[in-house]
Parts: sequence; structure tokens; C-alpha cells
Amino acid sequence: MKAREGSDQDTVDKWEVQLRKGCLELAILAALWDGKLYGLEILRRLESDSDLIVSEGTVYPLLSRLKALGLVRSEWVESDAGHPRKYYALTPAGRQRSREMAAMWSRFSASMSRLLAPLTREK
Amino acid sequence: MTTAGNAQQKMEAYLGRLRQLLRGMNPEDAREVIEELRSHIREKASAGGECTAAGVDAALTALGTPEDLASQYTTDDLLARAEVSRSPVRILQSLFRWASLSVAGFVVLLTSIIGYFLGGALLWCAVLKVVHPRTAGLWVFPNGADTEISLRLGFGNPPAGGRELLGWWIVPAGLVVGCGMVILTTRFALWCARQYRKSLALPRG
Repeated sequence: MKAREGSDQDTVDKWEVQLRKGCLELAILAALWDGKLYGLEILRRLESDSDLIVSEGTVYPLLSRLKALGLVRSEWVESDAGHPRKYYALTPAGRQRSREMAAMWSRFSASMSRLLAPLTREK
Repeated sequence: MTTAGNAQQKMEAYLGRLRQLLRGMNPEDAREVIEELRSHIREKASAGGECTAAGVDAALTALGTPEDLASQYTTDDLLARAEVSRSPVRILQSLFRWASLSVAGFVVLLTSIIGYFLGGALLWCAVLKVVHPRTAGLWVFPNGADTEISLRLGFGNPPAGGRELLGWWIVPAGLVVGCGMVILTTRFALWCARQYRKSLALPRG
């Protein structure tokens, strides 16, 4: 019991990490909504537009899973930098899935906000 | 020149190790993974113009160890494949690869082998009961304090000193419990892969 009290902050931190992880797939699909991007651009977009602290080693395997699921497709494009880049774009199935996930997210976050309103008003 | 050569060497050593660990993946996919990461490392390492050894070091650290990275590709591959086919053979194939990369994968592989084996044995027993009605089934052998229970497929003569427990009930029971174990094992393996994947997904904090 004592050990539990001591690790309260720890529990909150872990919960936050879990929460962020759950959003990663949707965040990547959302980053691709406006057009094709390559891996590093997706990482930069996630860094600048959200405070999802993403480890780089996670995004690439996840992209290849999304591709295996048919939600994104990829193509190699030559660049001025001297090496080709692998660009990702949403497939029609990926656009459909992102829209559904976004709608679900909005409903969920709206109802959570209503529920949490009294907690955030205090202080 | 030496720093550029050094940087190049470090990157190739990392990618070479990763290529080794991805053996078993579809070769075309593995080649694409390596090319994509090479492109990523080069671009990150040469942010200030020249590709430096320090830049390559930082890029490699950010990617994590080749083992962690390969584990993530392997578990993601498993999860993606499982959406298409839940065949135990394909799941075990991926688990073998995962087991070669991490202790967690090894434990999941062992548990899954036991689960599939028991499930398969029950299914076989149910089917073979029809062929060997007198000998197949769940048998008990009273042997003092340690009574032995054994699932017999019914090849050979009826065992001496044993008593059959379920009779024909082994057919429905074997089919239901056997199928259940196979399904549960698949779900367990996928659940572990998902949990493991999540645990590696973000750095702590």
C-alpha cells in the first residue's frame, strides 16, 4: 500500500505515455491527409504540430505496417539531396479509415471534456 | 575525408547488422527498409551540410538499437499479417523470428508452441476416436499417489491398467476445447505482440 502511494506520480506518467501511444497511428494518418510526405517529414510534422514525442525507431516500422494493411502506399522519388526518398500517401482505404478514426476521436474527446469540465474549473 | 569515411562505415555497420536481423522477412521488403533508413540517416546526419560522424552517431542513437528496430518490424509484420490470415503456421513463423530477437519473443514463442500443441493434440484425439474407438481418448492410470492422466491417440493396443475417462464425449469436448486453445493461443500471441510493440513505441517520459 505504501509503495503504491509513493508511485502515484509514476502511475500518472505511465498513463500519459499510454495515452500518447494510442494516438500515434491516427497522428501519422492525419499528417498524410494533405499529401505525400517521406519519413523524416512525417516525424518533423508530428514534432511541430503535436507534442507527441515520437521515437524515430517507431515511426518507420509503423509506416510499413500501415502499408501492409493497405492504408498507405509508397513510392521512391529522386531528390536533390543525392539520395532517393520513400514517400508515403494515403490510399482511398486509408482516407476512409482516417475519417472514421477522426470522427470517433471527436465524439470521444467531446464527451470526455463534458465529463471533465468540473475538474478543470476548480483552482 | 576520414570523418566522412568513418561516418559512412558506422552507418553501413548498423545497416548490415539490421539486414542480418531482418532475415526471414520478405527480401524485397527488407531491402526497402534498409534503403529507407539509409536515406533517413544520411539526411539527418547532414543537416548542417556535410555528413559527419557525430551526425551519424546522433541519428543512429535516435533510431535505437538494430535489435529493437528489427523487433518492431517483426511484431508489426506479425500484426499486419494476422489481419489477413490467422493461420497458426504463419503466426509461428513470425514468432520464430521475434524469438531470435528478444527474450520477450522467446517466451511468447514457447507459450504459443505449448498452446498450439495441446490444442492440436485434443483435436487429433477427437478425430482419431472415430478410427480407434477402443483405445483413443483421455485415460487415467491409477498409480498410488501420482495418478497419471494421458491423452491417447489410440495407436497400438489398449493400455494395461488404465481406465478411459470421457468415452465418446472426447469427440465434442476435444473439438471444442482444442479449437478454443488454438484460438486463445493466437489471441495471446497477438496481444503480446501489441503490448511489446507499445512498450517500445515511445521513449519514457
